[in-house]
Amino acid sequence: MIAEDLALLRDGLTRLLRDNGFDVVAAVVDGDALVHSVMLEEPDIAIVDVRLPPTFRDEGLRAALEARRLRPQTAILIVSQYVEHAYADELLADGRGGVGYLLKDRIMDVDDFVAAVRRVAEGGTALDPEVVAQLFTQRRHGGLSDRLTARELEVLALMAEGRSNAAIGEALVITVGAVEKHVASILQKLELAPSDSDHRRVLAVLEYLKS
Amino acid sequence: MIDVFRPFVERRTYRELVYLLAGAPLAAAWFGLLLAGWLAVGLLAVTPLVVPALVAFRWATWLAAEAEAAVARALLAVDVRVPRPGPSERGYFGRIRSALSDASFWAQQAFLVLRTTLGFGIGVAVASFVGVSLQLVLLPVTYSFFHEDVAGLHVHSAGIAFAFVPLGLLGVLVSPWLVHWLAAVWRRLVRLLAEPFGEARDPATEMQAFLRRTLPAHAAFYAGLNVLLIVIWALTSRRYFWPIWTLMPLAMPLAVHAWTVFVDRGDPRRIARTRALAIDLGAAATLFLFFVGVWAVTRHGYFWPMWPGLGLAVVVGTHALSTMGRRIDVLTTSRAGAVESAESELRRIERDLHDGAQARLVAIGMSLGLAEQKLGSDPEAARELVAEARAGTGDALRELRDLARGIHPPILADRGLEAALAALVARVPLDVELRVDLAERPPEAVESAAYFVAAEGLANAAKHAAASRVDIRAVRMGEAVVVTVMDDGRGGANPNGAGLQGLRGRVEALDGTLRVQSPPGGPTIVEAVLPCAS
Repeated sequence: MIAEDLALLRDGLTRLLRDNGFDVVAAVVDGDALVHSVMLEEPDIAIVDVRLPPTFRDEGLRAALEARRLRPQTAILIVSQYVEHAYADELLADGRGGVGYLLKDRIMDVDDFVAAVRRVAEGGTALDPEVVAQLFTQRRHGGLSDRLTARELEVLALMAEGRSNAAIGEALVITVGAVEKHVASILQKLELAPSDSDHRRVLAVLEYLKS
Repeated sequence: MIDVFRPFVERRTYRELVYLLAGAPLAAAWFGLLLAGWLAVGLLAVTPLVVPALVAFRWATWLAAEAEAAVARALLAVDVRVPRPGPSERGYFGRIRSALSDASFWAQQAFLVLRTTLGFGIGVAVASFVGVSLQLVLLPVTYSFFHEDVAGLHVHSAGIAFAFVPLGLLGVLVSPWLVHWLAAVWRRLVRLLAEPFGEARDPATEMQAFLRRTLPAHAAFYAGLNVLLIVIWALTSRRYFWPIWTLMPLAMPLAVHAWTVFVDRGDPRRIARTRALAIDLGAAATLFLFFVGVWAVTRHGYFWPMWPGLGLAVVVGTHALSTMGRRIDVLTTSRAGAVESAESELRRIERDLHDGAQARLVAIGMSLGLAEQKLGSDPEAARELVAEARAGTGDALRELRDLARGIHPPILADRGLEAALAALVARVPLDVELRVDLAERPPEAVESAAYFVAAEGLANAAKHAAASRVDIRAVRMGEAVVVTVMDDGRGGANPNGAGLQGLRGRVEALDGTLRVQSPPGGPTIVEAVLPCAS
């Protein structure tokens, strides 16, 4: 299900998802319609633009959160022309997986985008690298770079985006075993408890970055 | 049960009593000092001698304040230290300016004025209260020596004398509590000497808050004193209504006080422009009414208050004209500035679009065109060109996003100033302390101006000042939002540079003021006061 007010992007996104084996059950233009069709069509995931009519502010985000409140198993992927980590906080606030927040730019990298959609639909997390970068900037004075190696910082950023070990290995062109070693080392250095689910791992990392 | 006798054995009570009683003689001294000081300054105002007079007056005031602080330290057990007058600016007008703009100078005078008016009244009232109470208690012993009249009753027998004793005892028992309470009031007032108008950076607003806080006490004092005097008058002669001579003159400072409180509610914008005029008007009207009152109470006859009234009207009229003239000047420049800054902002956006996103789109179109040509012959090269085009759109999007943020950051409209500033701070690799304290969201234009003041200040701190720490504050002061950006960089910012000049246009268009302090070596402080017209 897609909620996007600009026809050009709505149709483009529909085509892109259909070509990649998704079934788009509805493509709506505003927040009310989004909530309504989530209840009616019960989609696995709703891809929602932050700015929707009538206010063109954060209507989409509010509608998506409302839809998720009414039907908690709905996964949400917010796409936007800009990202602010304050919005990511609101999305992640309920502590459950199945949320994502990406710049619209990321749609252009089709394979990555499709992987993120699948991950979120399956209960994982997808955070835009820009959000992670904002958090890293804030933490710079916390001495993050003193405690972690450059490679570990890269792995940490990818962890915060919500990627699995396998995906991290692919992105950095290293083996899953090497990723696991880095992850264990990071968790130990930051004194974070290892966790079984990727989403919980994201929350722990974000919590750490914000503290 | 409270131990009613305990205050009588405590030293504190007697120290406080001495402090209150000292109000009467000190009042005379400070009245003389203030009168002599202002008379000298006023009479010499047209001669160059005004500078030494003012400087001497400032130091004399400081010495008096020191004396008062010493007395308060000893008798009230409060720790007040009076700040020494700071160094003066150079030059004739510099010295005058630094004396007149020294907040602690005015605070000290304000305290001395309080001590001459309130202090005198309280001193006399406390002395009478305690004295009369003691007299009543001792009446059975003394009545036979002095044939006394109490409340119009001639005390000629022991029976009558003893009848007054319970009243006297009650007065004596109440006295220590009265003394404690009044001393507590003075303990607060004496702080005026230590921290001129508190820690806040806006003395005018703080003064306003002080006046507002003290108005009830002032009114209560006025009412209490006059009721007491009228009761005394009623109990005694009931002939000539002499309490008129406290009712009327003391009503004047109270009226001016109330006027300053009600005339405005601490809007710094009005302090600079219309508030001074409003106070002038209020003071003139009160003074005129006072003259009319005196005329009515005395002889009626020839209406002499006409002449001072005329003088006051001329003063207020001149003031009004000059204020209006200045206001028109300010409006004219600020409107021109607003138009100018909007113009240059549009030019910048046009240039950014032209050099950035548009150029990128052209490049993307070219890559795609080439790819289209090569699709049949060289699919590998075509794929590379398409990838290049995709990377190009990413860059174009980023540039457009930055541009949009520079025009109006979306999060500002969505989540308000605090969230927008937090997001701004998150993008800057500096140690930034952010404090936003606004009860409610200001109007959009104010919010946006506040945001850009912070953004510009932060950008300057990062780019030019080589700062490591930045302090950003956005707080509400009265009816205005005050945004301050302070960095520990090397200073020397040019207040007439394009960035700050554009900012000034934006702030002044909202009737606000922008102040930039950036001495070489730092620190740099950018402060904007943005009134929220509601």
